[in-house]
Amino acid sequence: MFHAATLFLVAAGLQLVFGVQKIVNLACGSFYALGAYFGISLVTWALQAGLPPPLFLPVLLVAGLLLAAIGPLVERLLRLIYDRDESFQMLLTFALVLMFEDVIRRLWGTSPYQLGQIYLVYGQLRVAGLTIPVYNLIVIAAGLAIAVLMGWLLARTRFGRIVRASAENRAMSEALGVDMSRLYTRVFTLGTALGTVGGALVVPATAASIEIAVELIVEAFAVVVIGGLGSMRGAFVGALIVGIMRAVAIATYPEVEMLAIYLVVVAVLVLRPAGLFAKAAA
Amino acid sequence: MSQPLLEAQGVRALYGDYVALDGVSLAVDEGQFVSIVGPNGAGKTTLVNVLTGLLRPSTGTVRFKGENIAGIGPVKLAALGMARSFQLVNIFPALTVAETIAVAVVSQHGRGFSWWTTLARDRQVTERVAEVADLFGFATKLGLPARTLSQGDKKLLDVASAFALMPHIIVLDEPTSGVSTRDKNTIMETLVGAAKRIGIKAIIQVEHDMDIVFSYSDRIVALHQGRILADSTPEGIRENEQVVATVIGKTHRP
Amino acid sequence: MIRRALLIVALLVGLLVPFLGRDYYATLMLPFFGYGIALLGLNLLFGYTGLLSFGHALFVALGAYVAAFFTTRLGILHLELILFASILTALVVAVPTGLLCVRYVKIYFGMLTLAFGMLFYSFLYKFYHLTGGDEGMRVLRPKLLGQSFESLDKVPFLIGPYYYYSLALLLVAAFVMWRIVRSPFGLCLRSIRENPDKAEYLGVSVRRYRFLAFLIAGLFGAVGGTLLTIPTGLADPLLAYWTHSGNLVFMMLLGGFANFLGPLLGAFVFIFLQDQVMSLTEYWRFVFGAILAIVVIFFPRGLMGLFEGQAGGRG
Repeated sequence: MFHAATLFLVAAGLQLVFGVQKIVNLACGSFYALGAYFGISLVTWALQAGLPPPLFLPVLLVAGLLLAAIGPLVERLLRLIYDRDESFQMLLTFALVLMFEDVIRRLWGTSPYQLGQIYLVYGQLRVAGLTIPVYNLIVIAAGLAIAVLMGWLLARTRFGRIVRASAENRAMSEALGVDMSRLYTRVFTLGTALGTVGGALVVPATAASIEIAVELIVEAFAVVVIGGLGSMRGAFVGALIVGIMRAVAIATYPEVEMLAIYLVVVAVLVLRPAGLFAKAAA
Repeated sequence: MSQPLLEAQGVRALYGDYVALDGVSLAVDEGQFVSIVGPNGAGKTTLVNVLTGLLRPSTGTVRFKGENIAGIGPVKLAALGMARSFQLVNIFPALTVAETIAVAVVSQHGRGFSWWTTLARDRQVTERVAEVADLFGFATKLGLPARTLSQGDKKLLDVASAFALMPHIIVLDEPTSGVSTRDKNTIMETLVGAAKRIGIKAIIQVEHDMDIVFSYSDRIVALHQGRILADSTPEGIRENEQVVATVIGKTHRP
Repeated sequence: MIRRALLIVALLVGLLVPFLGRDYYATLMLPFFGYGIALLGLNLLFGYTGLLSFGHALFVALGAYVAAFFTTRLGILHLELILFASILTALVVAVPTGLLCVRYVKIYFGMLTLAFGMLFYSFLYKFYHLTGGDEGMRVLRPKLLGQSFESLDKVPFLIGPYYYYSLALLLVAAFVMWRIVRSPFGLCLRSIRENPDKAEYLGVSVRRYRFLAFLIAGLFGAVGGTLLTIPTGLADPLLAYWTHSGNLVFMMLLGGFANFLGPLLGAFVFIFLQDQVMSLTEYWRFVFGAILAIVVIFFPRGLMGLFEGQAGGRG
């Protein structure tokens, strides 16, 4: 469930970017990893500088948000090939995946980073025979909160309306005077932020390692496909489904965990190619 | 002539609640050049889509050579002997003129799956390609990539490749749109000449230019709001005041 | 005609490499042969038919594991038989996956192929009783045309008989692909890439052609995969990972897709460049990512595109 929450964040970021800009950002996993590493570094530094442990969560959030600054930069790069075939765009993001992997290596080395037990500072709960760190619950709550926030943002605010309109019909939005490049930058940055924050939040429970970037894209991709490209609700439901499946699989028959997820992906792609909550046309 | 070549009976086509065609019946026989005219929104494109098996009518039938072709799709249509050209330029940008025509020839000869033979050495194909290209004035342009052609030539190529299917019937969607008035007649002459040489049995076109329509058609079908207002020879149409007012008045260009 | 001359020179050099002294470079040519064949297939699918697969590595891995399975579990060492089995297995896998995948285009096709690739990866990874899991499966030295060359050690075998065997296989594969591309079938594939709707109106059954292109690509991929594992002696699940598919696409783009020789050039440059860059810096991935980015943005036609002048027509 905890995993589902962070997965949702990343998936939401992916969906947003795809919905408006029709780009499948393979590097979202890299943003996630960067968020994780940066989060750990920032917290470690802050603790050494005298930060009281319970405040580590906000620091993580800050780390994630700060890192979102790379969003506009990446977007600038992608802008160079907006008019090309989508396959090319995917390839460019793949190039970014490769590059970010080595950036991480350079900045943080190859061994996994851990934040240790600090998240236990929030205590643990005993629920139905399971010990759950309160931290996890906080993250799940945060995930839900962000989901609600995103929903509200898209449905009620002017920005949200513009985003949705542009997703449906870019040409018309442009004709109506929407500044596409600024919108794209904002949307992309928001998508990036979701990814980096997701990564930052996950660190206390999981170690930050280079593999997580590549593994995550695979799961995020599964979520996005199951939920349907371009749909927020889809990201939510998809993350939920993947999270549940993972939990169930780990508990019962661990071997088929990934296999099961992929079978579902394939099944969804075949039966309902647009996903469960289809939005944008292919 | 026992049975019309192409026949639509009682066709109704609906887009949701919107009635695009309301009980249209039309029969085209061999040797006819039929023009479908009407103001925008009259249902011409819908009718063409039904006649070419792209759109399945909600009610009514459409038959080609006696066979039901409702919604059979472009590939089967080509196999049965009907070809179609498009209003908006529709080409293979990177293929040459010769290659574009060759695609049609190859598929018509059933050679599309032969993977071991070299296309350039296939005499039957190359000769047929040269033949068709010649009919349309492309003899000197065979090696040019389609995207480098002028707008008019691109349209002509689209038509030429449709002709290369050696169809019994060809449906042309605004063959002279986007072309300067000067060239329109040249195109029509080329078309009609090619059709005769290839042995096309009937031509159906959707056209806005009334001069062209009156000059070349044996028969004019006037559509208005999804219904056939009149279906007659050019003289008959000219004398039909209602048609002149609603259809020709709106679309006639001097 | 310069091209033809260059090709002949390249061929001659290729034939002589094992004798030119540096064993290391000869061994580096071996993955080139394998990847070259795999890429010929991928290029048919993308360059000629317009479908970008992010799961081609599935077939490469398939070929690798068939080789592993046959040599270690079944004790069959004849490379000809193994290659034949690779082709058959590729067909068996490609038929259902192809039927599913070609119903979709562009992004969805890419994603679906990626998913299948990862499905295979997770299968290889998890079912370790069968596949050796993350340790992979060993591939024993096969017999070439019935000869086992026992007297030769590993390296002399690889840069000797195996080198020429692989080169010959690449030439055969290239010849077959050349015929396919120049045939009426190849023309129809290209028409689908250019304008699938119009192709249908000219009587080309788009879905069927895409399916066949998918099968052929898979087949070539598997043969390449088999060849790849013999030098390394190991079939590894990572061969099926999506980043491996990404690398294949990278190679194809680098050399220039939609061009017959492009992917071969791409494979060659990629392998040698990787070798050089890896010895210069441990951050070779960054360099390669940057190269890919530059190619995608500025040289989408790849190296062959540069040679032919960017405005050149496509193959």
